[in-house]
Amino acid sequence: MECPEEEEEEDTAAAAWDWGHAATRSRLEEAHFPAKAEAAERSEFWAFWERLRRFRGRPAGEKGPGGAGPPARRQGYDARWRINLRLPRGREVAGVPEARVQEFRRALLHFLDFQQKRSFARLAQLQRDRAALPIARFREALLTAVARSPVVVVAGDTGCGKSTQVPQFLLDAGYTHVACTQPRRIACIALAQRVAYESLQRYGNQVGYQIRFESSCSSATRIVFLTEGLLLRQAQRDPTLPGYHVLLVDEAHERRLHGDFLLGLLRRLLPARPDLKLVLMSATINIRLFADYFGGAPVVQVPGRLFPITVLYEPIPPEEGGAGGRKERLDPRPYLRVLQAIDHKYPPEERGDLLVFLSGVAEIGAVVEAAQAYATHTQRWVVLPLHSTLSVAEQDKVFDMPPPGVRKCIVSTNIAETSVTIDGVRFVVDSGKVKEVSYDPKAKMQRLQEFWISRASAEQRKGRAGRTGPGVCYRLYAESDYDGFAAYSVPEIQRVALDALVLQMKSMGLGDPRAFPFLEPPPAASLETAVGYLKHQGALDPEEELTPIGSLLAELPVEVVVGKMLVLGTLFGLAAPTLTTAAVLSVPSPFLRSGSGRCDPDCATSRWPLESPLGDPLTLLNLFDAWVQVKSEGRGGSRRWCRRRGLEEHRLYEATNLRRQFQELLRDHRLLEPAARPSDSYTRQRHHRQRRELQRLKREHEQGEGRRRKVLRLQDERAGSSSGEEGEAERGPDIQDVKFQLRHNVSELQAAASAAQGLSRPQLALLQLVLGRGLYPQLAVPDPFNGTRKDSDQIFHTKEKAGILLHPTSVFANSPELLTPDQGAERRRGSKDGLSSRHQVLAFVSLLETNKPYLVNCLRLPALQALLLLARSLDTNADCTRIVADSWLELQVPAAALQLLSTALRLRASWEEVLGQQLACRRRGLGSQAEGAAERGPSSRQVGQLTRELLTFLQTEVQYGLRRLTPLEQQHLYVGPTVATAVGPPSLFQGMEMVPDEVKGGYKVGGFLTFHCLAGEGDLYAECLRSFWTCPRCGLYMPFTPLERVAHEDACRPPGPEGEEPSPAGLSEDVVQGPSGASALQRPYDCPTCRQQLLLTPTEILRHRKQHQAPPEG
Amino acid sequence: MESSKEPPLQGTFECELCGLRVPYSYYGQKPPNTYSVTLLEDSYVMRDPFTPEKDKFLILGSECSLCSKRVCVGTDCSLFYAKRFCLPCANLHLEEFPLEIKQDLEKRIRSKPQSSRKGDSKDRKKK
Repeated sequence: MECPEEEEEEDTAAAAWDWGHAATRSRLEEAHFPAKAEAAERSEFWAFWERLRRFRGRPAGEKGPGGAGPPARRQGYDARWRINLRLPRGREVAGVPEARVQEFRRALLHFLDFQQKRSFARLAQLQRDRAALPIARFREALLTAVARSPVVVVAGDTGCGKSTQVPQFLLDAGYTHVACTQPRRIACIALAQRVAYESLQRYGNQVGYQIRFESSCSSATRIVFLTEGLLLRQAQRDPTLPGYHVLLVDEAHERRLHGDFLLGLLRRLLPARPDLKLVLMSATINIRLFADYFGGAPVVQVPGRLFPITVLYEPIPPEEGGAGGRKERLDPRPYLRVLQAIDHKYPPEERGDLLVFLSGVAEIGAVVEAAQAYATHTQRWVVLPLHSTLSVAEQDKVFDMPPPGVRKCIVSTNIAETSVTIDGVRFVVDSGKVKEVSYDPKAKMQRLQEFWISRASAEQRKGRAGRTGPGVCYRLYAESDYDGFAAYSVPEIQRVALDALVLQMKSMGLGDPRAFPFLEPPPAASLETAVGYLKHQGALDPEEELTPIGSLLAELPVEVVVGKMLVLGTLFGLAAPTLTTAAVLSVPSPFLRSGSGRCDPDCATSRWPLESPLGDPLTLLNLFDAWVQVKSEGRGGSRRWCRRRGLEEHRLYEATNLRRQFQELLRDHRLLEPAARPSDSYTRQRHHRQRRELQRLKREHEQGEGRRRKVLRLQDERAGSSSGEEGEAERGPDIQDVKFQLRHNVSELQAAASAAQGLSRPQLALLQLVLGRGLYPQLAVPDPFNGTRKDSDQIFHTKEKAGILLHPTSVFANSPELLTPDQGAERRRGSKDGLSSRHQVLAFVSLLETNKPYLVNCLRLPALQALLLLARSLDTNADCTRIVADSWLELQVPAAALQLLSTALRLRASWEEVLGQQLACRRRGLGSQAEGAAERGPSSRQVGQLTRELLTFLQTEVQYGLRRLTPLEQQHLYVGPTVATAVGPPSLFQGMEMVPDEVKGGYKVGGFLTFHCLAGEGDLYAECLRSFWTCPRCGLYMPFTPLERVAHEDACRPPGPEGEEPSPAGLSEDVVQGPSGASALQRPYDCPTCRQQLLLTPTEILRHRKQHQAPPEG
Repeated sequence: MESSKEPPLQGTFECELCGLRVPYSYYGQKPPNTYSVTLLEDSYVMRDPFTPEKDKFLILGSECSLCSKRVCVGTDCSLFYAKRFCLPCANLHLEEFPLEIKQDLEKRIRSKPQSSRKGDSKDRKKK
C-alpha cells in the first residue's frame, strides 16, 4: 500500500495544506468512519492524529534507521507491517488530494491499532488482577463444593474478592438463574456494574441488578444482584423461588433483619427445592453458626488480602471525652491530633487517605467542621463527610481523587465499615463507637443510642487501612477497652421492632412466628409485642390470622400505619393526597439540617408558606405538591428550588418512586381505578417522542458513568457539605430529572398535586381524620402546663411514655399555640375548669429517642371526635359524662355526651361496613376477573353519606375536658365484674346488645364501648339516686337515676340508620321517635306496679313508670 | 481446549503461553459489523467489552505462523510483523527480522518482569 518515503517531499507543501479545516476533516470522516460512529470517537481520532504528527515531526522519525538497517526478512522496515488490520479499499475524497487521503488512512490504521492495543491491555490487566485475588486459588474447591453440596459457606475477609469473583465463577461454570443478595441497594448496583465489567459484559445484559424501583434485568440476564428485602418480597409471591437455580447470600455476617429471615426461609425451602444451590458468603465471623444452621455445610475459607497494619491505641484523655455532660458536642481535638501526626510523619508525596469512623451525623459534623478549618490552614486535606443521609452525589465524592500532595479525610459512620469500600485508605481512626437503633418494646420507641463497637467491627474498621498497602489504625480507646468489647455485634433481629417481619411471615403462611427456626431467635417479648401491635392495628384477628386489611398491608413495603392510611384514603376519594403523604412519610425526611442541627433562617422562611397548621404530614404533602408543580413547569428549576428551601431533592425523587409503587399496588388490588390512557394519538406520539429523547439522555449519561473519576478541589473556605458544589452539579442535563420524567407520568402527578393544593377545608378535615386513623394508636397529648413553657420545651405524653418533645423540624415546634385549646374568646370562659371545644391530640408517625425522646411527624386531631371515632376502647360512667379512651385519656363531657357517643357508634359502624365492602370487593375481584366489573365495592351514595356525617361530626362544638390519667388512676379504672348489677339496663344505643363485661364491669356495647364500667364515681348510691332533669328535646321534667337519664336521652332522638343526623346545632328538630326505629327499640316490659305486660321503648317505660309515681310526687 | 486446526466460531480462547482465557465470538479475518475493516490473519475476536459501540471488535490472538501455537496479541506472548510470531519463535529467528524488531524484542525480554502495559505504551510510541 502506501509508501512511507513519499511523506518527506510532501511536507514541503504542508504549509499550504490545512489539516485543521473542519470541512476537510468531516469529508474524510464521512468516507472512513461509519455513519453511526460516535462523535467521541472522531474527536479521539483527531487528538491521536495531532499526537502522531507531533511525533513524526521529531528528527528521529520512524523511517530513519529503516532504510539503513541490514537486509531483513522483508526489504526495509515499515511500522505499517506491524499492524494486522486492513482498511477497506479507499475511495476518492472530493477536494482532498490522493496523497493526503493516504496520509489520513495511514493515521487511521495506526489509530485502530492503538485502540486494539489499548483495549487488549485493559483486558489483560483485568484478567491479571482477577487472578491475583486470593479467592482465585479457591475457584476449583468452591465449584466442587457447590456441585456436591446444596449449601456452601464461603468465608473470606476483606479484600479476598468473594463478592465479585464467586458470581463469575458460577457463571463461567455454566450456572444460570443466579441471584446474589446484598443488604444494601447501593451495593447491588455497584456489584452488578463491577461484575459486568470484569466478566466483559459491561455492555451486555447477562448481569443485572434489581432494587426497589429499578431493574436492569431482561430475559438474557443470568445473574441478578438484588437486595435481601426484594428477594423476600419475591418469596412472598412464590415461596419456592422458582426463578432461581443458585442463590448467593452475601454479607451474611452482617446479620441484618432481612438477611437472617431470608436464611430461615431458605433453610425451610431447601427440602422442597433439592435442585437449588445455596452459597452463603460471610466475613470470617462466626462461621460455625452458619455452617451448623445448615446441617454442617462445607466451608471454603479464603484468606483475606491485607497488608500489615500498625495499631496505635490513643485513648481520649478525660478532659476531651465529654465526660462532664453526655449531651455536649464531640470534642474534635483527638481527631485533629491524628491529622497533624500524619502531616508530621508522612511526606505529602506518599499517598494515602484517612478514614475516620464516628458514631453519628452530629459527631461527623463536629469533626468535619474542625478538620475543615485545619485543612484550610494547611491545604493538605480534603475533608469529606460520609453517611447514609447524604445525597448519593455527595456520597460518591469519597471516591474522587484528591489533587497531588493532598489527602482525603473521610469522616464516616459505620457505613464505610462494610458497605462502602474506598480504595487508597492508609490511615484509619476508630472512635470505637457506633450508634445503633434499638427498639424499646415497652414504650414502642426507637432508640438511637451510642454503644461501644464489637471486636469484630473494630477489626473490620482496622482492615480498611490495609487494602492497598501497609497502614496505620489509630484507636481512640485503650487496649483494655478493646478486650472488653463484645466479640460480635448484636444481630438486628434482636434489637428492632418486628412488626413488619411478623406481618410478612404471616402473609407467607409460615404459621406461628414463635415457632419459626430462626438462625438466632429474637427475644420472645419482641415477638409478643409485634403480634400484639398487629392485632391492635387490625392486621391480625384474635386468632392471629391475617385479616383482609392485614394481607394488603403485608404487601406494602411500609410501616403498618402508613399502609393503613393508603387503604383508608381510597375510600373517600382522597387517594391522591394519601398516596403522596404516605410516600413522603416513608422516606427519610427531606428537610436538610446543617451539621450543627439548626436550620438556616433563610430556609425556614422560604419553607414557611408550605407549612400546614394541621401538622407535618400535611406540610410534607404541600411540599411535595409544590415541588411537582415546579418540576412540571420546566426542567432544571427544581434543584434550585429545593436548595433554597433546604430540602434534599433526592428524597423527593424517592418519594415519587414510592408513590408510584403504592399506586400500582392499590391498582393491582382494585382499590384504585386503573391508569387513564392518553386519549388522542397526537398526545401519544408526542409522549413517545419525548420519551425517546429522554431515553437517549439517560443512555448517554450511563455510558459516561464510570469514566469520570473527578479530581476533588481543595475547599477554600468552609465549603459546607452541600453548598460548595452547586455549580458543578448544575452543568449538563439533570440526570435525576431525566429519570424522573422517564419513570413518571408528570402530567398525572401534576394534576394530583394541583388537586391536593385545592383541597377544600372539609376535605382537609377528612384527610386529617384518614391520616389520623392510619396513625392510630400512636397518639400523644399535650401536657396541661405547656402554656407556661417556652416553645422548645413543650412536652407531650403517650400512653406508655411521658415527657416527650416535638422534633425540631415539626410545624408545632415553631407554632405550639396551634395545640393549645384556649384561644381568644374561649380562654376566659373555659380555662378554669379545663373545658374547651378545641382540645387537640397529636397522632405521630414515630417515636425516636436520640439524646431526648422526640415525636416525629405529628398531625393534630380534634381530641373528642378523634377519640370517639378511633379509640379501640371507650369506657364510660353511668351517664356517659366521663369517657375514658384506651384506658388512658379521660374526656369530661358535661353535655350531650350520649348524643356524641351514639353518633360515633353509628359512624364507626358504617365506616367499618363501607371499608369492609371495599376490601371484600377487592378479594372477589381478585378471585374472578369476570365478576370484577360488576362488583364495585360500596355505593357512592353510602360513601357520600358517611362523608357528610363524618364531617358534621368533626365540626361538632362541645365543651369538654381532656386529661391523661395518672398511672395510679389507670390501675383503678374499672369497677370490675363483682360490682356490676346483673339486671340488664334498658337498651341504650339504638338497640345494640349490651352484655355484662367480665373484666371491667359494666356492659359491653359493640366491639369497643363499655358502658358504666368506670369506678371512682365517688358516691356508692349515686346510681340509685334520682335527681330532677329536663330533657332538652321533649321537655320532659322529672327525677331520673343516671341510667334512666341516659336511657331517655338515647331514646329521645331520631334513631335508626335512615334517620337524618341532626345538624350540630340542630337539636331542635325534634322527632321523638322515628317511625321505623321505634319498633326496634321496643322491648317487653313487665310493669311491677300495674302488672301489665307491655311492649315499650325505654322512654315509654320511663313515662309509664312516671304515671305510677306521679301521685305521691304531686 | 480444542486442538483441531479449524476452531469453532465461538468458544473460549486460551493463550498457550500466558494462559489468558477469554470467550471469543468470532474466528477469521472478517469480523461482523466492523465497517469493513479486515484482518491480515485469522484471529480470535470478541466484541470490544470496553466500549458501548456494538461494532467495535477486539482481537484476542491468533496462531503463530511458524509453530501454530495459539497465542494472544499481548507483547509478552507474540509479535506481528506481516505475520504472527509467538515470542519463542520470534526469538529463534531473531536475526531474520529488521533491526527495529530485534531491538524491540530485546527490550521486551529485558522488561519482562515488569507489567506488560508499560511495554505496550512504549511500543505504541515507537510508531
